[in-house]
Amino acid sequence: MPGDTLEFEYRVANVDRGSIVAVECSVCWLTEGKGTEDLGVHFFQRLAGDSLAAIDWSIAQKISCPLPISPLSYEGKLLKISWCVRVRFFLNDGTELMAQQPFYVGTITREV
Amino acid sequence: MKTRLMKTKWRARLRLWGKKRGGRMSGWWFIGSLGEALFFATVFLIGVFLSAILISWQLMSQSTQPLKIGYGFWLFLGVCLSFSVLGIVGFWYRVLKVVTSDEHREVLAQRGIIPEPLSGAQQPKRTSHAPSIPDVKRFTDSPGARLAYRLPSQIPENGALVALGIFAMAWNAMIAVFLVIAAQNYLRFEIPWQLLLLLIPGIYVAIRSAQLFFRSFIRTLGIGSTTVEIEALPLVPGGEYRLEIVQYGRLVIKKIAVRLECEEESTYHFGTDLRTERQTVFSTEIASHGRDRIDWGYPLRMECRFSVPEDAMHSFQSKHNAVQWKIVVNGEANRWPLYSRSFPVLVYPQPGMSRPAAAS
Repeated sequence: MPGDTLEFEYRVANVDRGSIVAVECSVCWLTEGKGTEDLGVHFFQRLAGDSLAAIDWSIAQKISCPLPISPLSYEGKLLKISWCVRVRFFLNDGTELMAQQPFYVGTITREV
Repeated sequence: MKTRLMKTKWRARLRLWGKKRGGRMSGWWFIGSLGEALFFATVFLIGVFLSAILISWQLMSQSTQPLKIGYGFWLFLGVCLSFSVLGIVGFWYRVLKVVTSDEHREVLAQRGIIPEPLSGAQQPKRTSHAPSIPDVKRFTDSPGARLAYRLPSQIPENGALVALGIFAMAWNAMIAVFLVIAAQNYLRFEIPWQLLLLLIPGIYVAIRSAQLFFRSFIRTLGIGSTTVEIEALPLVPGGEYRLEIVQYGRLVIKKIAVRLECEEESTYHFGTDLRTERQTVFSTEIASHGRDRIDWGYPLRMECRFSVPEDAMHSFQSKHNAVQWKIVVNGEANRWPLYSRSFPVLVYPQPGMSRPAAAS
């Protein structure tokens, strides 16, 4: 719900912990449909260097952030607004691993 | 078969002259990005190199100054510096596109040109209370006479009228200059046949454009202005509001109808074109009035109440997409063409939404 706190956790498996160069975690909304895609970042966290070295990857990383009152999730005729949590892992060989989990803000609002 | 596949693959990678449709990159991503970065780096180097040569020539060898300090020097220096700025901005934009994720780039863009060091969690800057909803101040800066606010009007014909007026003025001025030149030549007993041949279609266009402009102008003046006042802003889904519509002018109205509409707007690239598509996703009539006579000093006043649907989407504005709510007044008058005037309103999300969220 808008204004509520979103709590989530992520972990990484089957990846050599030493090969992780940076981790980015974000809560964002994006538009899909006929128009050019727009992206809005509500929460962003980048871990690299010392802050990354201090992380114990054997336990899940917990994050919580308050959600804004808008934009609400929407499914219209020309555009769709969807929210998601995205986690990106940057490895030292240039590989980028990305996982995302969609969620709704508000009840899904269709065109009336 | 294999040879044909290879040919198609290389044709896709080395497509230089094909028209690109949409924003998706269909060629070789690595080569495309590298090529763009190299291009802008070259533009930057050319700019710096030429600026350095120009300044060193001016300063070092006073005797063989290539350009006098004046209009020419500053123009050339301006061109060189614009090359440098264009090159450096383009180069860094391309580099950032490759080395940073979409989200990271968005956060950097919100924070400004000089990024602050990233440590821990970032809540990107917010400019208004409700993100991605237009500022309500733009809608509430005009108080109404009877209700709280007078809505700003959005009349698409006004833009066309101004554009037509500018074109008609410029074209007529150009034709007038050519006419004077032709008259001068005629007075010197020289008949400028080529100029006269060009002037015939030119004068026709000048007369037609002026005629079209004055016809549109009279239509705008004759129908008279429309004002809409509302008791509260921003609107919220489920809320009920009072509205007053006033139609000025001197005419006999056949029918006037007021509608509440919601429109989606999407802007996209199609090759090198930028296109905007609009679709009305909600429309309901909230008031209508039949045949009536309006005169100067006796405008038509209509009062009504309307409600915003409970499950309505709020107003939304991003770089390329929008959801807009508006009050539309459609009118039909004797001896005048149909007219339509729209007045944008702002819908906020319902406060204290407590319905359960759907599971993802």
